[in-house]
Amino acid sequence: MIRLENVSKEYSPDSPALINANVDIEKGEFVFLVGQSGSGKSTFIRLLNREEKPTEGKVYVAGKDIVGLSSWKVPFLRRNIGCIFQDYRLLPKRTVSENVAFALEVIGRPRHVIEQQVPAILDLVGLSEKSHRMPDELSGGEQQRVSIARAFVNRPLILLADEPTGNLDPSTAVGIMRLLDRINRTGTTVVMATHDRGIVDTMRRRVIELADGKIIRDQKGGEYR
Amino acid sequence: MIGKIRFLLAETGQNIWRNLALTLASIIVVGASLSLFGSSRLVADAVDNATQRWEGGIEFVVFMKADAEPSQDEAIQTLLTESEGKEIDSWEYVDKAQTFEEFTEFFADDAELLATISVDTMPPSYRIRPTDTDAGAVAALGQTFESRPGVRTVVFASEVIREIQTNADKISRSTLWAGVALILAAVIMILTTLSIAIASRRNEIEIMKLVGASNWFIRIPFMIEGLVQGVIGALIALPGLAFVRTYLIEDFSKSDNLRLLEGFRVTDSEFLVISLTVIAIGTAVATIGSIFAVSRYLDV
Repeated sequence: MIRLENVSKEYSPDSPALINANVDIEKGEFVFLVGQSGSGKSTFIRLLNREEKPTEGKVYVAGKDIVGLSSWKVPFLRRNIGCIFQDYRLLPKRTVSENVAFALEVIGRPRHVIEQQVPAILDLVGLSEKSHRMPDELSGGEQQRVSIARAFVNRPLILLADEPTGNLDPSTAVGIMRLLDRINRTGTTVVMATHDRGIVDTMRRRVIELADGKIIRDQKGGEYR
Repeated sequence: MIGKIRFLLAETGQNIWRNLALTLASIIVVGASLSLFGSSRLVADAVDNATQRWEGGIEFVVFMKADAEPSQDEAIQTLLTESEGKEIDSWEYVDKAQTFEEFTEFFADDAELLATISVDTMPPSYRIRPTDTDAGAVAALGQTFESRPGVRTVVFASEVIREIQTNADKISRSTLWAGVALILAAVIMILTTLSIAIASRRNEIEIMKLVGASNWFIRIPFMIEGLVQGVIGALIALPGLAFVRTYLIEDFSKSDNLRLLEGFRVTDSEFLVISLTVIAIGTAVATIGSIFAVSRYLDV
């Protein structure tokens, strides 16, 4: 599903963000990216949805080389990749259901599809009762659920999560991880950058550890360390 | 498709609503610049119409009687040919049919008047460029024709006509330049309004990009917003132009003290051409401003 071949990324010549990374991620895998701040986790994620291009090497998503993808095709790539972030990135002037519907409206989905899919996904994330609330009326965990609903409503092949539990207390974080696990079990590949030792150690999934831009560990069923 | 269009229009509406004060300012600048530009064209057309027969150095016109004998006509032509290269630099003959054509073209919107005339009732004329353009010499030369048989009257391009031509030219040229300068200001205004609209929707744009909205889907609401500013600006300029035409130009030409300005008017077809030009410029201004804004400030 995802393949990095000799991928390096330099923002400036003296500070490489990623050095010669080689990774293969199968369809349906759940992968944790761990490492200290500045180790290259976010760059790894940004390379997968073509927010960044590598300085060297090739990135394949669903069998396609996305480095040479022309810019007008990038949106079509992103329709297959959901993204969630530590800061949720919800639109403050839209309700919960409008935030989720927005992701479908901007890719031109017909109204009847939107009317059908939005309640279904809100039900999946447990927010049916709060569909008319504004984001600032929700807790952090609920806001992250909205963000997950928005990322998953289009049923993407891959879900990229950059520190999704970073702003949440441990018990709320567990709820979010259960949701991501459930999504992963539908066949969606999940790549999650995290600092949360407890989560990694509990879930025992594949762990890719980065340090100073290099992959120093790639372990199935791994721990945080 | 309908859903897409509805969404794009709703987004455009929201953009305009959030940015209302600046949008109104843009529309006013576009309207003012195009009013000035259009007015300069109206004045230029009106002056052209009023002074048409005096263009190219023609100093006086000898009008024949409509029922002048061919021999009388020939006598004048012989005289003119003989004087060519001496007192007269050049001359041209405007026959009945040509006069009729000019008249019907000019009064195309006055059906009542046109119904009363025919080719036969039109006086043929000679438009004459003298070698010596000194006012006294021109008057003396013109008067020699007045007493000739078959001549109805001799009309001179007075100093007043020449002054009107020069001054009107200056007025229309300076309003044209002011209009052009304001049109540039309008492009910058639309550009700024859109850049602010883009900045204020940074979060939405970022999310649109992340969830896979196509580049055009992101750009179009901003481009429509620019277009709305240009087209509404042009449309509000049109009543201004109608006002200039009706209350300034036409009332001016009706003044009894300004008989020389008879014919200082703008025909319906000229007004239509100027109006369409104004709308086209408004649209072009908006398109240029929008394309520049989305390519410069919208990194998709």
